[in-house]
Amino acid sequence: MDQKNFIVAIVLSVLIIVGWQVAFPPSKQATQTAQQQASTQSGAPAAPAGQNGTAPGATPGPGSIPAQQPVVSRSEAVALTPRVTFNTPELTGSISLKGARIDDVQLVKYRETIDPKSPPVPVLSPIGSKNPYYAEFGWSASDPAIKVPGADTVWTSDAQTVAPGKPVKLTWDNGQGLVFGLTISIDEFFMFDVKQSIENKTDKPVTLFPWSLIVRYGEPTYEGMYILHEGPYGVFNGTLKEFSYSDFKGNKQQKISTTGGWVGITDKYWMATLIPNQQSKVDVSLKQTGTGADVKYQVDYVGSGVATAPGATTITDAKLFAGAKIVRVISDYESKYGIEKFDLTIDWGWFSFFTRPLFWLLEWLYVHLGNFGLAILTLTVIVKAVFFPLANKSYAAMSKMKRLQPEMEKLKERYGEDRQRMNQELMQLYRREKVNPAAGCLPILVQIPVFFALYKVLYTTIEMRHQPFYGWIKDLSAPDPLTILTGFGLFPWDVPSFLHFFNIGIWPMIMGVTMYLQQKLNPQPTDPVQARVFQFLPILFTFMLAPFAAGLVIYWAWSNILSIAQQYMIMRRHGAPVGNKPVPAALPAAPASTDGKKGGKGSGKKG
Amino acid sequence: MMSLVLRGAIRFYQLTLAYFFVGACRYEPSCSAYAVEALSKHGGLRGTWLAAHRLCRCGPWGAGGYDPVPPAAARPRTPLSCHPARRT
Repeated sequence: MDQKNFIVAIVLSVLIIVGWQVAFPPSKQATQTAQQQASTQSGAPAAPAGQNGTAPGATPGPGSIPAQQPVVSRSEAVALTPRVTFNTPELTGSISLKGARIDDVQLVKYRETIDPKSPPVPVLSPIGSKNPYYAEFGWSASDPAIKVPGADTVWTSDAQTVAPGKPVKLTWDNGQGLVFGLTISIDEFFMFDVKQSIENKTDKPVTLFPWSLIVRYGEPTYEGMYILHEGPYGVFNGTLKEFSYSDFKGNKQQKISTTGGWVGITDKYWMATLIPNQQSKVDVSLKQTGTGADVKYQVDYVGSGVATAPGATTITDAKLFAGAKIVRVISDYESKYGIEKFDLTIDWGWFSFFTRPLFWLLEWLYVHLGNFGLAILTLTVIVKAVFFPLANKSYAAMSKMKRLQPEMEKLKERYGEDRQRMNQELMQLYRREKVNPAAGCLPILVQIPVFFALYKVLYTTIEMRHQPFYGWIKDLSAPDPLTILTGFGLFPWDVPSFLHFFNIGIWPMIMGVTMYLQQKLNPQPTDPVQARVFQFLPILFTFMLAPFAAGLVIYWAWSNILSIAQQYMIMRRHGAPVGNKPVPAALPAAPASTDGKKGGKGSGKKG
Repeated sequence: MMSLVLRGAIRFYQLTLAYFFVGACRYEPSCSAYAVEALSKHGGLRGTWLAAHRLCRCGPWGAGGYDPVPPAAARPRTPLSCHPARRT
């Protein structure tokens, strides 16, 4: 018997794990393949169409960039070139005057680990450091004789630093009568505004194509979870397109023309994104270059040609977002600059109509309570309160049914063949015992979206990152750290990944216990196999939920506790047996009628 | 064949997700048990139809109670509606 149970449990585990993957489906976009065949001109530079940009620097791209030097530390790499520095409440870093490259951006308020002394999270990193990742702004010329600034151009700046409200202007004279300018301003958050200017001191008009690009060396380590997109993406002509790094394997590229929108590369919490002028049409390309360890990913766009008359100066506008994907900041930028669908930089998933309001509510609660864990607990109470009357009704019916189970069995035995008669008798029994048929599965069903949305929000939004709860939970968006294989934190070691399944924390265990208790309150399923399998499910769910964000596990445990309390009260009120003990057969109809006095706002047992 | 696959899927549901719906059913037999019975009695197509009809009937607005699968012989043509097939 025990062995049989064990086998059933194992088979079920496998089934559930498979089922789980189905239940938390790949949020992968189906759109990515559509664009795939659009264009694969191998290695075609993002130069204006119809031109062949052969002049050095005529093409935006890492092609013209010196090969990666030996890797040095970030600070050494920064010291290699002259720089303009910045230090805002959110950002610290610098802009390289060589190549006018924004390549050193770190987030002051976000640290690598929960230790506040750990290094700040880098968004952009200079050439020479481990994984260079930077943005550049420049021009292509259709006439190769025109010298445009390139990757090795050293610009002169009019200031040593740049700060909110104090832009810096970089200039470079090409010696042929053209003066290029880049006026870079920053704000309190993560937006770099770049005004690209050309001053034409020659005697004939000149046409140049302004471009912006982001290059990232190497494929970053990413979570690779289907639940969240990471990689190159953008909004083109009003439509979001998400790519994975592997879509560009073998130096593939995508070319898309768009008016409005944005293009960038995102990690889970941070991104570097280019925002062209929303009114003008630009040619975007996303591509991979290089091979093996030298692989690079590039997103860029080229604007239409700008003609500058002799003696005149023209200015085009570009923006770079390099920072943390804070919901409020993103939506402020969207409205302030009119960036089309900038909110989609955050992956709200298919159920964004639900995840967004849930996040809004959570954040609102957080602002008032000061702790995201408390906010989650309060949210649970709100959800429970909304469905309180319905659940009450359901529990009341459930407890009455539980009492009536033996009588129903008897009826079935007697009249099972005769549908009509059976139904009549059953209805009569219900009426006599004042049983309302259960509310059905609806009250339970409605909680599923809440669970999914919370899962998604905890996983996705930076607001949940490194948010503590009471006790040992220092990060609600990470799994419970006090796990069984580390002796609940007594002897921390790197648990090998094949043991992760067994490495469950304290909160998952608490959740498992609450599931078990709740099961004790519920009626036994009549199907014996089902009944036996269900006994294992609390254990299984403990294992399955262990790797999930602690906040989600706490939510589930708390939700169970609330349900148990509610159900227990109702069952006691209705004199239903608690636990799965057999019920004495015939019951007087009386006890149910005494329940009115105990109060409670349950509209439960009326009618 | 189709009926078998569907019944397998329902069994999987019954042994996993049904956990969360224990005791919540308004009907006897429960929707999943009804579906299995309907599939084996009436085959994949009509079984699915009957099961969908039953699912549709379940909700706070439905009646609830004893609602078994109709016998294989009787085949009244009923449009898909959320009202009980026949009341007593």
